[in-house]
Amino acid sequence: MTSRRRVVVAWVATVTAGALLGVGSAWLWLTCTDPAGTRIGPWLVNLEAGSTDASLYTRARIALKALLALDRRETLYYIAQQDDAGRPLRSRCRYLISGSIPAARWWSVTAYADDLFLFPDAEQRYSVSGETTLNTVGRFSAFTGPETPVSGAIKWLPTPGDRGLILTLRLYNPSPEVQADPGALAVPSIQRQGECP
Amino acid sequence: MPVKPWQRWLAVGLTVAVLTHLLTVWALPRLIMREAMARITDETATQARAQGAPQAATGVYLPPPTDHTQRRIVMPSPDLLYATCTLDLSKGPMRVTAEVAHPRYWSVALYGANSDNFFVVNERSAAAQRLDLWVVPPGADRSAMNAERGSTVVDAPSRKVLLLMRLLLTDDPADLALAKASRSTLRCDASAL
Repeated sequence: MTSRRRVVVAWVATVTAGALLGVGSAWLWLTCTDPAGTRIGPWLVNLEAGSTDASLYTRARIALKALLALDRRETLYYIAQQDDAGRPLRSRCRYLISGSIPAARWWSVTAYADDLFLFPDAEQRYSVSGETTLNTVGRFSAFTGPETPVSGAIKWLPTPGDRGLILTLRLYNPSPEVQADPGALAVPSIQRQGECP
Repeated sequence: MPVKPWQRWLAVGLTVAVLTHLLTVWALPRLIMREAMARITDETATQARAQGAPQAATGVYLPPPTDHTQRRIVMPSPDLLYATCTLDLSKGPMRVTAEVAHPRYWSVALYGANSDNFFVVNERSAAAQRLDLWVVPPGADRSAMNAERGSTVVDAPSRKVLLLMRLLLTDDPADLALAKASRSTLRCDASAL
């Protein structure tokens, strides 16, 4: 190989390796690290979602995981991928989600599979929302899990299969207090029910 | 200290890596938005073919109520009925109108080509359930706009804009009919009418 050809090969190899490292590190950073945000119990809320003030990384993460999110004045999105004890949420386990009514015009908790789409259910039981029947102390509750719970009194969101589970709490037009400090929200608890090997 | 050849190559490789890393993070939301807008344009055309010409004139895609078969945009809300369109502002400002008689929450949000939500109006901020927007591209001549009094002028950060209308559905079956009637009044090219 002539020395000139060697230099060309070295340039191509270096630029290709650099580009692969650049694209690969960006992808890993966006998909495998925890997004920036405020953690409240098992929930994570990103204040820059949808915002024109979003950082380069937040914008890319939101585009990947929550495209077309609204900005915080319109809607706050709290996302949980773990239970109260910090264990990753799995669809095959049963969870009790309960909490007081969030300070917003309207709210909902929706169960998503780890591909960020809804679990299949012929009866379309995907979310628990502002219309849920409250218990005697004014709290709402719902179960998620692959099988019908014994008690039919509490709403059940079926999560068939064995895969990651993501819960999203949406607050439409959150109260000014929550908007100013989303970390101050009394978030719903996510408790695993029974053993789940 | 003299720079060794391998140090020079390492510096070149790392510089390329840093630049492509930043370029990837910058470009990703723009590529995802472009793809989303292309899909909406396709869906609108498909729907227009299925329903006849009148639907085509509105430029609006009216997706069916959200269920688990919706696998186009991540984290769809099952409690909302959507309507969506893309605005191509390359020929100048565009007018968007709707007469919304939905008794519950609804909103219309605008997203730029970089995926930012740069504008949102809901039924509390919209005057008398009426939506009348002029969406203006960067550096546009506003004199040709002919905006009526009472319409809202919104500066878009890009020439391609995605509009998403959300209408809240509750357990009341009457909501769906009202929401469907309301979203069918959305016109994304009212300036051309």
